[in-house]
Order: sequence, then C-alpha cells, then structure tokens
Amino acid sequence: MKSSLVRQALILVALAFLPGIGQAIYFRDKVSWQSPIPASEMVTVAQARAWGANAIWVDARPDVEFEREHVPGAVPLNEDRWNELLPQFLAAWSPEKSIVVYCSSQSCNASREVARRLRDEAQLKNVFVLKGGWEEWLKKK
Amino acid sequence: MRTRILAFTLSIVICAAAHAELKWEQTTVELHPASTDKEAVGHFKYQNTGDKSVRFKSVHTSCGCTAAQTQKDEVPPGEKGEITATFKIGDRTGTQVKTVTVDTDDPVNATTVLTLKAVIPQELEINPTFVFWGQGEAPKPKTIVVRAGKDFSVKQLKVTSSSPDFETKVAETGKGQFKIDVQPHDTSRNMAATLTIQPEGSSKTFYAMARVTNAPAIQ
Repeated sequence: MKSSLVRQALILVALAFLPGIGQAIYFRDKVSWQSPIPASEMVTVAQARAWGANAIWVDARPDVEFEREHVPGAVPLNEDRWNELLPQFLAAWSPEKSIVVYCSSQSCNASREVARRLRDEAQLKNVFVLKGGWEEWLKKK
Repeated sequence: MRTRILAFTLSIVICAAAHAELKWEQTTVELHPASTDKEAVGHFKYQNTGDKSVRFKSVHTSCGCTAAQTQKDEVPPGEKGEITATFKIGDRTGTQVKTVTVDTDDPVNATTVLTLKAVIPQELEINPTFVFWGQGEAPKPKTIVVRAGKDFSVKQLKVTSSSPDFETKVAETGKGQFKIDVQPHDTSRNMAATLTIQPEGSSKTFYAMARVTNAPAIQ
C-alpha cells in the first residue's frame, strides 16, 4: 500500500520534470543574450580604481543615463551612436592605458559588446569589463 | 482506494499547474532588418485562454536599446493581444539577442521571457577600424582590409580622410576585397583623422580612424 503510494508519487514527479528536460534539450544551442566573457577580461571596481590615471573609463550606457550621471572622467561610447562616439573615445585613448567599460549592472550586456568591438574591430589591447557595472561603482563610491 | 484518490488529486494539481492562462503564440521572434533600417519591431501575440482576467504587472527589457509596449493593462478571458518590442538598431552589427520580461498576476505562470533576435546584415567588414602610430615612429603605411559582407557585393570604394595629415590609397585585391593603405605625413605630433569609406551604389557610409598618439606605439 505504502510502496504503491511512493511509486505513484515518483511517477508524478518524473512526469512533472519532463517538460523541463525537454526544454533543456531543445534550447541547448540557443544563443544567450549575454555574451560570454572570460574572467581575465573582467575587473573589479577596486582593481580599476587602483590603476588611477592609467585607466580610461568607458560608459556603454545610453546617452540619457550618461548625461544623468557617470564615473568622473568617463567617455561615452554606446552602440546607438558608435560611429559618432568612437572618434571621441580614440582621441582620449592612449596605448599605455587600460580600458574599463561599464554599463548599468551585472546583468546588462552593453559593456561586453562595446569591449568586444574595441578588441575585435579596433584591435585595442587591455580592454576590461567592470564587474557589477555602474551599480557596483555607486556602492563603492 | 485512498491511494487512488490521492493520486487523482495530485494529477489534477499538476495538470492545473501546467495550464497557463496567458497563452503565447510564440515567445521567440527572429527579425531580419534591412541594412538601412533604423529599428526592428517584434510582435509577441497572446490569448487569455483562462477563465479570469490577467493583469500585466511589469514589462521590462534587457537593454536600453529595446522598448516594449503592452496594448492594455488587463486581458479579459478569451481576449487576444500583443506586446510589441521595438529594437533600436543604432550602429549595432551582427546578431543581437534582446529579452523582454513580462510579469503578470497569473499565479501559475507569473513570468514569461520573450526573446527578440535581430540579424543585422553587415554590408562591409572593416579590419581593423583603427590604425595608429606612436610619436616618432617611422611613418610607414598601415593597412585596413575591407571586404563585402555575406549577400553583398562591392565593386568600388571611395575613401576620404578628414585630415590632410593622412593619405589613403585604395587597391582592389579581388573577390570583393579591398585594402586601404593609410599613411601619416609625419609622426612628430599628436594628430587624428576619420576615414570615410563609401561603397559605390550604397547609401550607407562606413568609418575607420587613424591617429598619431603622443606615446610610443605598442601595436
């Protein structure tokens, strides 16, 4: 009697798992909306701050957010106006400086994309993404 | 007997849990905008198949570049509608995946994540988009390679420099590929130029940058 109840319960639990397993198999190759990034290309607020004048801060957020507030000295560079903003960024850039790109928070993807384009398209070196983004910078302000 | 009743009750509970009141026609939309399009709009259609109204609590997007709109705040039983997601393309390239998270008061299926995938055609691939020289470095030409993107063909390229301090020479290397040699007249001072790249017959303009920095080059 008892074992029958347990067996039936287990069958029901297994059935409940089926849609989840199916979805995991079906969507295994789907593109994630967040670009993967190696840990070596991430930097914490403390590490980036320690670089002092040897770092150039890049704000990848939309213009309105940059205008509201930004890391002091940061240069705006977002994909809405990439062609227009890139020359301004490159005018401030210097080969010996590390580039720290940030967007709103840990979950945003804009900083990863901007960092990728700086590395792949402009072929710049020492490009890092700020862990936790602007939210983290505010906490450590 | 009691076992059967319990099993039956459990089945009913699980079946009820699997039933979503707001039924989405599709939760993933793939868009293929033209290279000149400014935005791409995805339509996510739904129907309330339940027997009570569903209220939208919040709709938020994964990126500031995407705006989502509901037609109404509450969906009565049986009613259809859609959420539109407008993705601002800006100067983005390649495949872009953005999400829209929809929160409702449906106790069974409260949150739905909608995915908008936009495949933006790349008319030209420019590599690299930036060349630079350190101060005092020999002013030798550096090369930018330009090739037509998939499904595009380029017969001629016109390149102009925003500064007379840099000279450009374009040469076709075959199969829709070109090389642009960029050369500064001297490298004794800090200077920069924007190179405007215009494929023949295209309404789109592309850019590359050249600069002499005030630091030694480490390229």
